Amino acid sequence: MPAPDPARPAAPPRASTVESAPTRHSRPVEDGPDAQSRLRQLLAANRVISSELSLPGVLRRIVEAAREVGGARYAALGVIGPDGTLEQFVHSGMDADVVAAIGHLPQGLGVLGAVIAQPQPIRLAHIADDPRSSGFPPGHPPMESFLGVPVRSKGSVYGNLYLADRTDGGTFTAQDEELMLALAGTAGIAIENARLYDESRRRQEWLRASGEVSRHLLAGGVHEVDVLRRITDSVQRLANADVVTLVRPRPSDGEMEVVVATGVQAAALVGLRYPARDSIASQAMEAGHGILVADVDSGSAPFVHLRPMVPVTQVMALPLKGDSGPRGAIFVGRVATTRAFEPTDLVMAEMFSGHAAIALELADARSNQLRISALEERDRIARDLHDHVIQRLFAAGLSVQSTAATVSDPVVRERLTRTVDDLDDTIQQIRTTIFALTDRETAAQTLRRRTLTLVEDLNAQLGLHASVTFSGPVDALLDDSFESDVTAVVREALTNASRHTQASTIVLSVRVGADTLTIAVDDNGSGLTGSGHRSGLANLEARARRRGGRLELSNRPTGGLSLAWTVPLEPRPGQEPPR
Amino acid sequence: MSTIRVFLLDDHELVRRGLTDLLGSTDDLEVVGEAGTAAEALRRIPAAHPDVALLDARLPDGSGIDVCREIRSSHPEVRCLILTSYDDDEALFSAVMAGAAGYLLKQIRGSSLVDGIRQVAAGQSLLDPAVTHKLMDRLRHPVQEDPLVHSLTAREREILDLIAEGLTNRQIGERLFLAEKTVKNYVSNLLAKLGMQRRTQAAVFGSGLRRSAPPSE
Repeated sequence: MPAPDPARPAAPPRASTVESAPTRHSRPVEDGPDAQSRLRQLLAANRVISSELSLPGVLRRIVEAAREVGGARYAALGVIGPDGTLEQFVHSGMDADVVAAIGHLPQGLGVLGAVIAQPQPIRLAHIADDPRSSGFPPGHPPMESFLGVPVRSKGSVYGNLYLADRTDGGTFTAQDEELMLALAGTAGIAIENARLYDESRRRQEWLRASGEVSRHLLAGGVHEVDVLRRITDSVQRLANADVVTLVRPRPSDGEMEVVVATGVQAAALVGLRYPARDSIASQAMEAGHGILVADVDSGSAPFVHLRPMVPVTQVMALPLKGDSGPRGAIFVGRVATTRAFEPTDLVMAEMFSGHAAIALELADARSNQLRISALEERDRIARDLHDHVIQRLFAAGLSVQSTAATVSDPVVRERLTRTVDDLDDTIQQIRTTIFALTDRETAAQTLRRRTLTLVEDLNAQLGLHASVTFSGPVDALLDDSFESDVTAVVREALTNASRHTQASTIVLSVRVGADTLTIAVDDNGSGLTGSGHRSGLANLEARARRRGGRLELSNRPTGGLSLAWTVPLEPRPGQEPPR
Repeated sequence: MSTIRVFLLDDHELVRRGLTDLLGSTDDLEVVGEAGTAAEALRRIPAAHPDVALLDARLPDGSGIDVCREIRSSHPEVRCLILTSYDDDEALFSAVMAGAAGYLLKQIRGSSLVDGIRQVAAGQSLLDPAVTHKLMDRLRHPVQEDPLVHSLTAREREILDLIAEGLTNRQIGERLFLAEKTVKNYVSNLLAKLGMQRRTQAAVFGSGLRRSAPPSE
């Protein structure tokens, strides 16, 4: 747009108030049929402008209406940014290829800047004659007459409305100026409405997003990290941010850790740790409300830890409040300075993080509730097995055994005795089941429990169905020095059974007597076949010998391998001490 | 050879009947009385004056451990065996806490049950002192951070030590200048903290701990 050519001879300064054009008072607005038609035009323009709600649409309509009502070839509206230059420039009347040829939009120098510096109407007959003109860039069409008026919205100057080149080739009149001032008044109100509308629309979007997060969280069956990422994704989209992270204090050392991230360098930021002290996130957590830092470079701003990775210039931090203190914070950053975070951004993001925190709390409480009722249920099952099933099996077994003692037929007695054995095995299995039913996260991690977990893990890994029983006070008698041996024996024996002997049934028993530990593994596979699995078994033999014990391998009469690893509980004199 | 008089305490009638059958099939064992609750047992055992009382650890109105400690204090001549369907570690703990001569798992096979009763009647203990010692060591110096064990007071630890020495409630009272009833209360607390309800308590306790801790994963 206009920028007077410095090469032309300078004319005496002419502000609109000293405009000397002869037409100045000849066509007051209230005069004649022409004035009436212009008034109708103005009213129509007001209607058109007011019927639009989106801000870009409003600005466009203002410019179009200004060009029409003002009878100018060119019209434009410059929006003044926080630094006093033109942040946006909406124009009309210039062909797209001419605009492209000029290359850049005006920044608010020259005459355009004069209306910014002094929010007063300026009316000129020849732009280039004005001493404030700074000339036109190459490719810019020549412009002669000029009219500029400030647009005020919510009590401050929002921008300026510019007209150039009256279509009749004349100079802009006082009537034009009055019409433009009236239009600028309407424009100011329309802009304010559009901003309010935009704000309430954004507020609604934030609310919808927090509703989605809550729904997602409470639907259950989702990974926490997915929900957290949904939170950062929403914030990034709604706050127009370049980077959003969710940070939490680590319980171990209190350092802040990035749990999820969205935006620039997101993948690299996850897992980033930094000292909590003086960080903006911890300041927000302590304060209990959001913090907005408009200029990260200013001296008083807190240190922003992800700056070496993402060159953010303005940031917000929002606390995630929890029942028992802050759970963490959401960090929001913008890299470019195109638009500053506004106080409303902070308010909305704060509201969002408040809702998200409540949803996280609720989800936590609910999963705890579910876990406790699952624990209680398992406990009840364990109790029933113990109180009813075992007792009945035991009682039945006792009576079968008593009967066996009175039977003279050896075949029948043998059968009854086998039944008693089976019942005993069943009781032992149930005992292991009862033990396994107790919560492994909270129960003391004893050797017995770790062995049980190991067998379950190996079963899953190797596709086995090995059962395990314990006899004797395993935990009371085995100290932790046995752990690595027990683990090695169980692992090797099960791996061997699965890889080399193709066993389908594996029975493992850990027996502790007053002075020996025996780990016995019986399977129904192909038994000892020679080579192949020697090295693993040799390792077990070495482990047994180190403790003064032995490894025994034999083929079972019914087929399959029988492995017995036996060591004394106390090292025998003259033996190598256990590792 | 005089017969060994045996008293049975178990809340399952089927189990009592089975045990009576089993012990009746021997020449030297005789069931002289039985009970289904702790209260009945405390009334009937003194009257039946058995040599050995076989006590189920878990009862509807209390535990065989409490019954055992009461009987050991008032009738030290009665030898007690804890009969349990829990695993060995729990059974061992129960027997030590009860001041019993040993424990028997509810296991049918072989003659371990009958042999156990005979050994105890002959004045032997089924508990290996080394084993008892190791168990107490574990309780006093848990390797894992066990909040329940750490919750014991100094007095409770003191009493735990005396139980491990095999002292009855009365003897502990004399040693610490406490009324027998007070000792009994301490033992009940100890059992509640370390004993049978340990699993459920630990689960609920643990989840409570996790809830109040900051999120970590």
